[in-house]
Amino acid sequence: MAENHAVELHNVRKEYLLGQTKVEALRGVSLAVGKGEFVAIAGPSGSGKSTILNMIGCIDIPTRGEVIVNGRNTGGMTDKDLTRYRRITVGFIFQTFNLIPVLDVYENIELPLLLQNMSDPKERRTRVMHFIEETGLADRIGNKPGELSGGQRQRVAIARALVTKPVLVLADEPTANLDSATGTKILDLMSEINALEGTTFIFSTHDSRIMDHARRLIRIADGTITDDEKKGS
Amino acid sequence: MVTLTIALRSLARRKVRMILIALLVLLGTILIVFGETFSLSAKKSSRSAIINYFTGDLVIYSDKSKEKPSPFSFTTPLPPVPDPGRVESWLARNEYVDAFVSIAQNYGILSAERDGRTVDVPFFFYAVNPGKYSAMFSNIVMKEGTFYNINSGQDSTVSGVVLSTFQLKNYYKNYSIDLRPGDAVRLLSLSDGGSVNAVSSRVIGTYEPKYYRNVFNYINFLDITSYSRLYNFTGVEASSMPASFNNALTSESDEDIFGLAQSGMDKLDTRQLVASDISGFSIIAVRLREGADARAFSDALMKEGLGVKAAFWNEASGFFAYIAAIIQGVIYGATFLIFLAVVFILMNTLIINVLERTGEIGTLRAMGAEKGFIAAEFLWESFLLNGTAALLGMAASIILITVSGGSIVLPDVLQQYLVGGGPLILQLSVRPFAEAFAIIIIVSLLATLYPISVATSVTPLKAMSGN
Repeated sequence: MAENHAVELHNVRKEYLLGQTKVEALRGVSLAVGKGEFVAIAGPSGSGKSTILNMIGCIDIPTRGEVIVNGRNTGGMTDKDLTRYRRITVGFIFQTFNLIPVLDVYENIELPLLLQNMSDPKERRTRVMHFIEETGLADRIGNKPGELSGGQRQRVAIARALVTKPVLVLADEPTANLDSATGTKILDLMSEINALEGTTFIFSTHDSRIMDHARRLIRIADGTITDDEKKGS
Repeated sequence: MVTLTIALRSLARRKVRMILIALLVLLGTILIVFGETFSLSAKKSSRSAIINYFTGDLVIYSDKSKEKPSPFSFTTPLPPVPDPGRVESWLARNEYVDAFVSIAQNYGILSAERDGRTVDVPFFFYAVNPGKYSAMFSNIVMKEGTFYNINSGQDSTVSGVVLSTFQLKNYYKNYSIDLRPGDAVRLLSLSDGGSVNAVSSRVIGTYEPKYYRNVFNYINFLDITSYSRLYNFTGVEASSMPASFNNALTSESDEDIFGLAQSGMDKLDTRQLVASDISGFSIIAVRLREGADARAFSDALMKEGLGVKAAFWNEASGFFAYIAAIIQGVIYGATFLIFLAVVFILMNTLIINVLERTGEIGTLRAMGAEKGFIAAEFLWESFLLNGTAALLGMAASIILITVSGGSIVLPDVLQQYLVGGGPLILQLSVRPFAEAFAIIIIVSLLATLYPISVATSVTPLKAMSGN
């Protein structure tokens, strides 16, 4: 693995059963994403975009092939290693938000810091409040997810993924529920983090704004990469 | 303490569900506490009833006896205890003995007058020292007359028979004899050799047993002096006889006995002989002090070489201990079934409660939460809910047992065999509460950790999907 690669996929295949039918979500995907890249994966629904993110985020395992993260093949990593990788390295923005329903906005965003055992409450608060401000949630700080709109929940999910300052952010349709202005603001925030911190961003998206922001656009159809375009190169 | 926060919020968020689970745990706790209290009380009460009303902690009897003692050894009495005076003297000196009473179990014929004719009726009895018997067993409720003037301040060496009212009714029903205190009767003994002896006596009282009516309804009482006379147990003090007679009586060798005849016997001066009551006691019931080790006591007794051995209360109570044990077994079985049902229902409910939140577990795993973090969150939730419900269930059990008067009325036949009669008194003890709490905590632990282990053994994505 090249040292400047954040992630590599080698001939990754993913099959699963949908009832009695075997579905091939990925059909031998090979891909390398460099550190600090801002990548969009685009394709129609069911093409395998989310599956690629799930493999990279180690929340799912490939049927065949290799996923290399931090220079290590995930197939040889223990559950503890994978958990640590998800906690420390990755910030995952789920398409369905997956917020903890009993925690309010502040607590949901704070949770990853607690999982990382960030013991200084002052630092925690500063970090959480920064992302609450950036995502425009200051007036919703004490609300539970059930009291928020879809867009607000999405912003909480985004803040939660960014708050730990991970080296890799995986964002599954992050602007799908956001209005145009908010979506643009969030993308600007991510671009800024990418530029300042060198954080790697990989998006799955239908959103043309993300595709425009991305410096690399990978197109996928039927579980196969059909195009891999690096802008400006 | 984010795990505690999540746990508390989760409990509050799903109030109705959690209240239903808490009620289930509360009910389960009550059932376990009540069932276990019932079982333990039955066991304790059964033991103490048999010990307190007819056997004592153990029963001493002749080591020549092939049969165990029994409350029904009338028609085939055990061999007399050899030298009961020595045994009693040893018992009186023993620091572990609280009380004891020697008893002769036997039967004879009671002759009474009816319309100028003599009618013979069967007469089963315990011949006892009345003072010692009353001090040890409190099962006699006098209906008429006196139990040998015990506690009356009058002469307690009075002789006579005390009849059970049940027996009196049977005498009247079957033989038209209506006996009352003061009536003269004649007692006839029937020996193994076929000889008949007769003693004049009188009815001095009638009684009803408080407990174990199915035993004591058939038992009458006779003073030991009359009994000794009736069965020719009155003998001669060995010390008042010439040495050659003692040698002849104690020798087991034919040669020694015939040798004595050849060498000549001393002349017997009947004026020097002193009468001695041999008594004929067949058993000695012994009650030990609190905390005394019955087995160690029995071993010490055997070492004394008194020609006796001891049977423990459960061996000496005939089939009563066995029937009581069977009833207790049924109660234990029922309690165990209740326990299984409670555990099964609780286990399933709690497992479903966690499995329904597999998606949440998956999300936490996807965020990098360790398994310990997830387990802590759900264990907090489970222990807070179930622990509180169990404590409330324990408090409710105490209230229920107290309000119900702490007793359970069973069918009379069960009460007779289990505790000698009357309702079963529930005895509160720590054990059922500790067991119920431990069971609830263990079930909570297993029913939480098992689904968590299932939910964390799959990929976070699969767990998040909730399948």
